[in-house]
Amino acid sequence: MTFAEFFASYWWLMFPIFGMFMAVQGMGQSEKRQRRTLDVIRSYVEQGKEPPPELLKLAQKGDDDWDMGMGMSTGGGDGKNARAWTFVTFAALTAGFGTGYWFVRGEDFAFAFLIVAVTMGVLALGALGILIFGRK
Amino acid sequence: MEELFRDYWWLMFPIFGMVMAVRGQSNEFARQERILRDAEKNLERAP
Repeated sequence: MTFAEFFASYWWLMFPIFGMFMAVQGMGQSEKRQRRTLDVIRSYVEQGKEPPPELLKLAQKGDDDWDMGMGMSTGGGDGKNARAWTFVTFAALTAGFGTGYWFVRGEDFAFAFLIVAVTMGVLALGALGILIFGRK
Repeated sequence: MEELFRDYWWLMFPIFGMVMAVRGQSNEFARQERILRDAEKNLERAP
């Protein structure tokens, strides 16, 4: 089997492998950070000092790590704007790849556009669901 | 090689997205690490 044949057969595997890598790394880092943040906050409280606001924000962030808010969802009204922006981004990507698919639908590689458009569409729907029914 | 590129040129877009995602994640981790280090330093400096 040549490299070209191998690549042609298994190129799509790079996406799930990348997703798993990011998920494992994100989870590991998130857990470590959460534990360390709470330790530092405890030390501040034990010394009778007010913990810095960035540290408190970091401690709150643990709940928001997986909400697709891309790190902007902590704090007040920003969260809703970030969620709305996430929806707009995924909707725009869906429209873009959907249009791309429509223009090249006769080609062999058109399925790639369709796969990305459907994936982005599902993410857009998820983001819309979080925007409407998520935590206020 | 040319044929491979002709067949898979569009992969450069998702690969670019993945590179940006890795960069974004590592920047975010570095920012969090800085906040924690600063907080710990402030704590050590306290009398």
